[in-house]
Amino acid sequence: MAITLYDFELSGNCYKLRLLMGILKLRYDIVPVDFYPGRQHKADWFLRLNPFGQLPVLQDGDLTLSDSGAILTYLAKKYDETGLWFPDDPAITAEVLRWHAVADDITSTASAARLALGFFYDFDVEKAQRGAHRIFRLMDEHLWFGEREGRDWLCSPAHPTTADIACFPYVMLSEEGGISRQDYPALRRWTDRVRRIPAFTVMSGVFPAGRAVEEA
Amino acid sequence: MTLSLSDPTWYPIASSEDLPFRHVYQGQLLGRELAVWRADDGNVNVWENRCLHRGVRLSIGINEGGELKCQYHGWRYANRSAGCTYIPAHPADAPARRIQNRTYPVREAYGLIWSAANDQQAFRPFAGAEGHDWFALRPVPVNAAPEDVLAALGGLAPDDQPADLLPGLAVRFGGIYYFVQPVDAGRAVIRGLLREQPVDAVATLRHYNELLSKLRDRLERSAARKPAPEPLQPAYDKVSADLATMPDIAIPKGNTITVMVKRKWVSADGVIGFELAGRDGHLPTFQPGAHIDLHLPNGMTRQYSITNGPGELMSYIIGVKQESASKGGSKVLVETVREGDLLSISEPRNNFPLRRDAIRTVLIAGGIGITPLLSMARFLDKSALPYELHYFTRAGETVAFRSELEALHGKVIFHTGLPRAEIGTAIATALGQWSMAQHVYVCGPGPMLETVRDTAAAQGWPDESIHFEYFKNDKIIDNSSAFDVELARSAMTLHVPSGKSIMEVMREAGLTVPSSCEQGACGTCLTTVIEGEVDHQDVYLNDSEKRANSCMMTCVSRAKSARLVLDI
Ligand code: FES
Repeated sequence: MAITLYDFELSGNCYKLRLLMGILKLRYDIVPVDFYPGRQHKADWFLRLNPFGQLPVLQDGDLTLSDSGAILTYLAKKYDETGLWFPDDPAITAEVLRWHAVADDITSTASAARLALGFFYDFDVEKAQRGAHRIFRLMDEHLWFGEREGRDWLCSPAHPTTADIACFPYVMLSEEGGISRQDYPALRRWTDRVRRIPAFTVMSGVFPAGRAVEEA
Repeated sequence: MTLSLSDPTWYPIASSEDLPFRHVYQGQLLGRELAVWRADDGNVNVWENRCLHRGVRLSIGINEGGELKCQYHGWRYANRSAGCTYIPAHPADAPARRIQNRTYPVREAYGLIWSAANDQQAFRPFAGAEGHDWFALRPVPVNAAPEDVLAALGGLAPDDQPADLLPGLAVRFGGIYYFVQPVDAGRAVIRGLLREQPVDAVATLRHYNELLSKLRDRLERSAARKPAPEPLQPAYDKVSADLATMPDIAIPKGNTITVMVKRKWVSADGVIGFELAGRDGHLPTFQPGAHIDLHLPNGMTRQYSITNGPGELMSYIIGVKQESASKGGSKVLVETVREGDLLSISEPRNNFPLRRDAIRTVLIAGGIGITPLLSMARFLDKSALPYELHYFTRAGETVAFRSELEALHGKVIFHTGLPRAEIGTAIATALGQWSMAQHVYVCGPGPMLETVRDTAAAQGWPDESIHFEYFKNDKIIDNSSAFDVELARSAMTLHVPSGKSIMEVMREAGLTVPSSCEQGACGTCLTTVIEGEVDHQDVYLNDSEKRANSCMMTCVSRAKSARLVLDI
């Protein structure tokens, strides 16, 4: 069965799915949707796929799915044989979903600021930036103490989960929304770790990280 | 108190823990943005956060362990010196000399990284610093004026234990020290140190983190009610014009550096290793494949390749072949120079530039020729670029720098004691058929270079993809011709009689002419030819360069025509 991603290259939410599918080595087709400037996500044909008028949309055979967090969960539960990306444990499921919700908050702040500055959306830039800084502060604190307690990722397992993928893109693209990460050193170190996940792929605006020192 | 851009005080700018290997930390002090990174040798670099090329932030660059690579255009800067080692798309794949990023002084102490806006003041420990096992708290950035932050921290002191204000925006009470890092006029970072390791580290960190977060929230609320202070405006030095221009290949002899022989050892049968250390601090940046001229006690000068990897600038390591029959330079070096002796060396120069945009790189070394190739292999290794290193040694000869070679992650193949005929086949196999963006680098005895050049040519390798370096010109120089040289820029015409080189004649006429080997091997005296037909006798230029007739070595080359016009 073929997987099709309705995709906009510059969308962090679409990138989340490309990232996980790349890591899971899934084959998929891409249907480019001209989000900007074409506003094709508001076109009739697209609204028939997703009445919410939002990217990304994923089709897996007869199934049509929307919302990046929901699709990440679906892909991990269906295709990740290791069970690591969305672990079955109830407490960890709650943790992962908690961070999926944070990812949505990051979208409504950091991504909104980026849309305003880079795509001429009529949003309150300063409010969006303030909101992003508030979230980044919390994340930095969470990750900083994580490092002290031997935890490298957002959730408690000793490996990354879909929570890390969900939060990563708009943290990484925050500078495009005028949100510096200088005050969040632990957050910056976490982005290095995410970028070192085997089979990690980049998008424009997201650079690869150098090799860690032990590898090779 | 107003902050000054030129304040020479040392302030903490990061915690030691902020700098794991292969990470680049983004810091700021007195308005200046900093890229702070730890190299694999443990050294901490504090640089202006700006690639000289386009001003892109280096804190988004890649820390490769010995060099920092700018992510946008691939410029690289070396550990310690911040010297540029690579400019992509540059015709020679080499930077102009002495392009250096701006560096700031640095000291790692008490769990913190300290720096200053300039190096007018030596680092001094704060009062009471010595003799304790310091414990660093979680740094807390605050959007408020540094002086307000300092005052608020002083207010944390218990009534019966008033706070002690220390120089450098610091305050102390009981066993706790707070330092305020002046990030900018309206921004600061609180960095706390405890005098002892706490029993429960995480609980202690959480306790102080909560305390300082509350303080931060209060400070930010009151800062929001005041007019925001004007941010500091650091001026950036203009990028010099020679960044955009081609470096001169001819480097005047001159600047020498005194180095101390730190270590002398037998690296292999017949190969002596020398470690030459700078007397204070690091030595200049070098590129892979570069060599130094070593001035020997008997007045001779010899070239030796630097074997070091990227960013290893505390000392240069060279390998010297001990030839029993030789009366030349190596003999003096091997027999009379001892550990602790001082020697003069030139700045490193590179006639053997390594391309880092190749899809496949083949390195072929014969005997002592391993030295420049070891350096190249180390650079490629650190950058995770693919390469194969073939090292040919004669029967009875042992492998020099074996442990260094074995520490590499790429493909290193030892060919030991092969009969002559088999060397040819081994080289042919190592090279394979040429295809786009493959490069081969060879260093070894003359016959081996010839074999590689011929084999490569036969297997479709173009001249531009074959790179070699001669330290010695084995050819017999025919200096029987006589002709005139017209020196276009000096407006002078000289007659070169048989038996004399152009260089000698020019020197007799009072001109200063740079040279090093004086036998057509090093390229130092490379000169542009404007008119006339050159009789090349050097081994520096390749065949197509020779055919182009546009440059020559004045130390050995002569004229086939009656007159040569040189751009001198
Ligand atoms: S001085 Fe070395 S080539 Fe002329």
